[in-house]
Amino acid sequence: MKGTLKFGMVGAAALALAITSAPVAAEDGPTSADLMNDASTPGDVLTYGMGPQAQRFSTLDQVNTSNVKDLVPAYAASLGGEKQRGQESQPLVYDGVIYVTGSYSRLFAFDSHTGEKLWEYDARLPDGIMPCCDVVNRGAAIHGDKIIFATLDAHLVALDRKTGKVVWNKKMADYQAGYSATAAPLIVKDMVIYGNSGGEFGIVGEIQARNVDTGELIWTRPTVEGNMGTLNGQPNGITGKTNASWPGDMWKTGGGATWLGGTYDPETNLIYMGTGNPGPWNSHDRPGDNLYTSSTLAINPDTGKIVWHYQTTPHDGWDFDGVNEFIPFDAKVNGKPMKLGAKADRNGYFYVLDRTNGKLVSASKFVMETTWANGINLKTGRPNFIDANRPGAPNGSEKGTSVFSSPSFLGGKNWMPMAYSKQTGLFYIPSNDWGMDIWNEPIAYKKGAAYLGAGFTIRPIAEDHIGALRAMDPATGKIVWEYKNKAPLWGGVLTTAGDLVFTGTPEGYLKAFDAKTGQELWKFNTGSGVVGSPITWTQDGEQYVAVMSGWGGAVPLWGGEVAKTFKEISQGGMLWVFKLPKR
Amino acid sequence: MTTRRHVLAGLGAAMAASALSQSAFGAPLEKVRALGVLRVGVYKDNRPWSWSDGGKLRGIDVDLAEALAGELGVKHDVVEFMAGEELSDDLRNVVWRGGLLGFQKCDVMMHVPFDRKLQIDNDQVVLLAPYYREGFAAVCGNRQADCEVPPAQFQGRRLAAEIGSIPDMYLVGGFGGVLREDVKHFNTGYDAVAAVGKDEADVAVATKAQVEAAMKDMANPAVKRRKGPLQAIMSPGWDVGLAVKDDSRSLADAIDAIVTKLATSGRLTQIFAEHGVTWQPALQAS
Repeated sequence: MKGTLKFGMVGAAALALAITSAPVAAEDGPTSADLMNDASTPGDVLTYGMGPQAQRFSTLDQVNTSNVKDLVPAYAASLGGEKQRGQESQPLVYDGVIYVTGSYSRLFAFDSHTGEKLWEYDARLPDGIMPCCDVVNRGAAIHGDKIIFATLDAHLVALDRKTGKVVWNKKMADYQAGYSATAAPLIVKDMVIYGNSGGEFGIVGEIQARNVDTGELIWTRPTVEGNMGTLNGQPNGITGKTNASWPGDMWKTGGGATWLGGTYDPETNLIYMGTGNPGPWNSHDRPGDNLYTSSTLAINPDTGKIVWHYQTTPHDGWDFDGVNEFIPFDAKVNGKPMKLGAKADRNGYFYVLDRTNGKLVSASKFVMETTWANGINLKTGRPNFIDANRPGAPNGSEKGTSVFSSPSFLGGKNWMPMAYSKQTGLFYIPSNDWGMDIWNEPIAYKKGAAYLGAGFTIRPIAEDHIGALRAMDPATGKIVWEYKNKAPLWGGVLTTAGDLVFTGTPEGYLKAFDAKTGQELWKFNTGSGVVGSPITWTQDGEQYVAVMSGWGGAVPLWGGEVAKTFKEISQGGMLWVFKLPKR
Repeated sequence: MTTRRHVLAGLGAAMAASALSQSAFGAPLEKVRALGVLRVGVYKDNRPWSWSDGGKLRGIDVDLAEALAGELGVKHDVVEFMAGEELSDDLRNVVWRGGLLGFQKCDVMMHVPFDRKLQIDNDQVVLLAPYYREGFAAVCGNRQADCEVPPAQFQGRRLAAEIGSIPDMYLVGGFGGVLREDVKHFNTGYDAVAAVGKDEADVAVATKAQVEAAMKDMANPAVKRRKGPLQAIMSPGWDVGLAVKDDSRSLADAIDAIVTKLATSGRLTQIFAEHGVTWQPALQAS
């Protein structure tokens, strides 16, 4: 596979580029082949997800269940300034440097031995853009001499990884209200893959592939049926079949944004990308499945075409965005080894699919309650909808009937990535138990004019917790253990061959759990909420663990009962690095 | 933002420094007078109220903002902002907090519905000075000559509406959904109406101001406005006013008095007429 990677790209232009670019020596930085191999090279962290499959599993076991209690800070590094908002980033580590993105579209390089800052890049953002949900960034990508990340004004920026100087800077889209480019880029076969919004009105999901050396566009793939994809600037086929699942011209404005990025599996040569919920909010106005919103798409990176899709919430009416990561893994089903993939969806179900064809293998509830559906039909792959719990259509200027819905639209799981342990065979899902009252709002306003919106109140559904870290057995669909947290969980998960699971809490802790039992073995308070994704790597014979601290993201935007769980949490912006003390 | 810098440059360096430090805190009347500038926020792409015409801001709200500043005896600094997902986002970004990425708060925000529930839900601001009564209207042309039929009979014609607006929901969701397949979407209500003038649509539903302004601009006598009501449309209309931060009541009082004066003197009628819109006093006008 490795040998063919560079020449797998389609089109004469791409091929020419691959040939003319100089062979990449190790000191010139990681190649696409190195990125594919990231999960087996514990001396570095080259990809978002610690491998293109994003299993977030490390083979390191120097830190393990017996000694994790001794873990202490090695150093910490502040992002500085007044820009202390949500730090949802996952650091990368390469060649003695930690690269981490910060709130407000910043990127930092720190010495991985001392924490000393090497350089900092601050994107100059137009002051007129007003992101919907905090000013976070989830991480960067590294390739060759470049480090690449997305900025809030919908640009992709490639920096020289040694100096922080701009190599290229490409506008991906016209900035729209409510739009934000916050995901970490995925690099596949020397292409930067990024989820975006486009189309005639700029609000239809679109995946872009760009040349990693120049930033030039190679292909685009819209996520909503009826929209035309492109390859090297030429039409490359319509997504789906126009008007098969959308009325009128609504496919032009159908939503399906791919704002969380994707994963890639070299074995099947497929990019897996989740799509957002459809618009308009009132599902009664758009009869049909509204493909391919609230779905996982499998895309061939060589052709930019959709190979299969699986829709987790057909005809969504609850804002159950389907963007969550799809993690490839291998396991036996009924004694037969299979290439599988798993996704913990906003809608509260954990799906296991055959990743070669998108066929449903199993679907299990991973939250306390799902009011919108009573299980997923394994034959059809569709939810058993509970129609009475779909928010009603507006009736003239009357306030519509209020419906209680669980999960809330913030999801059984939101953006924060889960982890899969090859050792225990379990998935570790950062989930939340909360519901919402949702109704159509007769008197709402938007852009200075009357408007029909949805009114909602999010509220906890349990006395003792909202957040719950859950160990899911993909073979049985059973929760093996759970850790409950008072405040909502909003950070990513890491698991290791030392039988550990790490995740952060809004209360400020980075915690370590026994991967088999869920017993809490260690915690450290970082001084602000942890909503980033932890990593681990080895250097000079010692295992290190790192995480970003800095409370923020979408949760603090919501008030009411939920807000009581985090009202004392202060903002921050700090990289924390831990290791065992030297004996 | 270039407007802002330009205005500040005219005031001299010392004044500019003080303006920069103080303008971070919404300025009540005395501060506005001391600085000599009224900073006013208007919606981007909101024709005929406010839009950019080759880089220059134009529109009813822009003219009214200039008139307000003129009556206060200060210069005007009119800046546009992008509409958020809902109106409370705009009030937060424009009036009481400012944008997260450096957008400075304005002293006044134009075009805020003067609505009791909106005021209760947003107690960080004061809604004031309703200056127009808005509502919805329809126009017909091309293949739909008779504009007075019940809307369900528009079936099969090319129907135009702004994405996500009440006219959009009215057409796609009303009448048992019979019109749903026929709706073409546009970025603004003004564009939807203009499409009828260009024979790209047969019927458009939009706000009254969008209809009147677009009809004047297209100057197509074959395009007719519907005289009868739009049965069962979800909104009976609303008053349009302004918003200031809740600590700016002295400024609110002064602006209230100015808007009343502009209404009485006929200046409002004149400003609206320049954009093709018939001024309608707000139902709750003071």
